[in-house]
Amino acid sequence: MKLVAVCACTSGIAHTYMAKEKLRKAAESLGHEIHIETQGTIGVEDELTPVQIAEADAVILAVDIHVEKGRFKGKRVMEVPTSLVLKASKQIIQKVEESLKA
Amino acid sequence: MPDNTMQTFNISNVIDEKLIALDLDVRTKEEMLNRLTDLFDEQGKLNDRDAFFKDVMWREGEGQTGIGMGVAIPHGKSAGVNKTSLAIGTSKNMLAWESLDDEPVNVVILFAVTEGDSDIIHLKLMQRVAMLLAHESFIDQLHAVKTPHEMLTLLESDPEDFDD
Repeated sequence: MKLVAVCACTSGIAHTYMAKEKLRKAAESLGHEIHIETQGTIGVEDELTPVQIAEADAVILAVDIHVEKGRFKGKRVMEVPTSLVLKASKQIIQKVEESLKA
Repeated sequence: MPDNTMQTFNISNVIDEKLIALDLDVRTKEEMLNRLTDLFDEQGKLNDRDAFFKDVMWREGEGQTGIGMGVAIPHGKSAGVNKTSLAIGTSKNMLAWESLDDEPVNVVILFAVTEGDSDIIHLKLMQRVAMLLAHESFIDQLHAVKTPHEMLTLLESDPEDFDD
């Protein structure tokens, strides 16, 4: 499947990028395509394009702070704290897989 | 990337051997954070030691900084910092720490970030260290480090080199 994700933690220094790396690894190991936007101290990086969002089967928001969700309207969105991604990234991707089958 | 960026995108921009203290005989989180804060202070990375320490402790109250496998990444984005830097301490003793796996830690990587750091290189280096920490095989190697020099070499690795 095709996934898009946004990672953003409280201080935007470390957890955001650990979560990004964990999600990327988990998605790739399960054979999925994923694009991940990060919102941190450095600003927004790898901002999701409208095409990436349109083509995505699901959206994962790994966020501890408020992020703008309007652009994901009508999409299947799973929102989790970054700590859960650090602990259980594969399970999160598997849960998205299941929800798409259901 | 332009050449000047290639030259400066090096971990030595944020950490050197003087900011690494191995096998410390500390017993608590506060003791460890104080020792690492002293390292920053001695190396001229802080303009207000107390403000920085307070901001680090505030962040500790906001949520777990233990990332599991015996490692913690406390951090302070603080007006008390004058140069974005990293300090690493390892402890002879396991330290109680709020962690994702509910286990104590013996490797602590403290991130000191200036308020509104606009230096992309510094922040990118911090990011790269965070990305390395997402790999369990990197963490195994972190626990095996014997000298500050080995630590710096390990930190120079590319997250892409770890495929677990």
